Amino acid sequence: MLVSKAALHLYIPHRPPFVMIDNLVSISPERFESDFFVNEENILVENGFFQESGLIENIAQTCAASFGFLDSEGGGPPKIGYIGAVSKLEVFELPAVNSVIRTVVTPMHQLGNIYLVKGESFLEGRILLGCEMKIVVTQ
Amino acid sequence: MHANDVKMNLEEVIEDTRDFLSEEFEVDRDLILPENNLKDTLDLDSLDYVDLVVLIEENLNIKLTGEDFKEIQTFGDFYQLVRKKLSL
Repeated sequence: MLVSKAALHLYIPHRPPFVMIDNLVSISPERFESDFFVNEENILVENGFFQESGLIENIAQTCAASFGFLDSEGGGPPKIGYIGAVSKLEVFELPAVNSVIRTVVTPMHQLGNIYLVKGESFLEGRILLGCEMKIVVTQ
Repeated sequence: MHANDVKMNLEEVIEDTRDFLSEEFEVDRDLILPENNLKDTLDLDSLDYVDLVVLIEENLNIKLTGEDFKEIQTFGDFYQLVRKKLSL
C-alpha cells in the first residue's frame, strides 16, 4: 500500500470517528484506489450495514486523500477538498459489517479548482455504489 | 456526431449547441441568442461550468479551460471561441 491508515491524517482533515478509508492502495493521476474495513462500531453503520452516506463519504475521502498525496509528492501542502455535488448516483448493495470494501476513483475533468470524478465501491468484485462527484479544492 | 468528425459550419454548430444546452440546462431554446449572457441565461453556478465543459467536449469535441471562460460573456463570445477552436 502507498499510504497506511496511520499516515492518513497527513492528507485529509478528517479524524475518528469520521475517517471512512483505511489505506490508499494505489494512486496515479488517472486512478485512485483505497480499502476500508467496515467496523460494527462505525457511526454510519445501521442495522448491520454500512449506509449509502458512508459509501459516498468513502469515495470523497479516497479522492481527498489521493489529491493530498499527489500534492505532497509535488512538494506542496495537501489542499482541502469539499464535496460540491453528487450526481448519477446508483446504489446496488450495502456492505455488511466486517466487510472490506475497495473503492476506485477516476478523475474525469478539471476546471480550475473543481474536479469531476467518477467513484465506485466494490465488495469482492461486486459493485456496491457508483456516482459522479464534483470536488472543490481549496486554492 | 462531433463537429470535428464531419466538418460542420458555424451555423450548424450554433444550432446543435442551442439544442444540447437547452436540453441539459432546461432553458427555452429561443433564449439562447448570440446577444444574451451565457451565465445568466443558463443560470450557471461555478459547479455547473464543469457540466458545461463536459457537454461541450462530448458534443463539439473541444476542450475548454477556465481561462477560455474569462473571454466569454455572451453566447456570441462563446460561438467565436468555438469558431476559433474548430478553425471554422
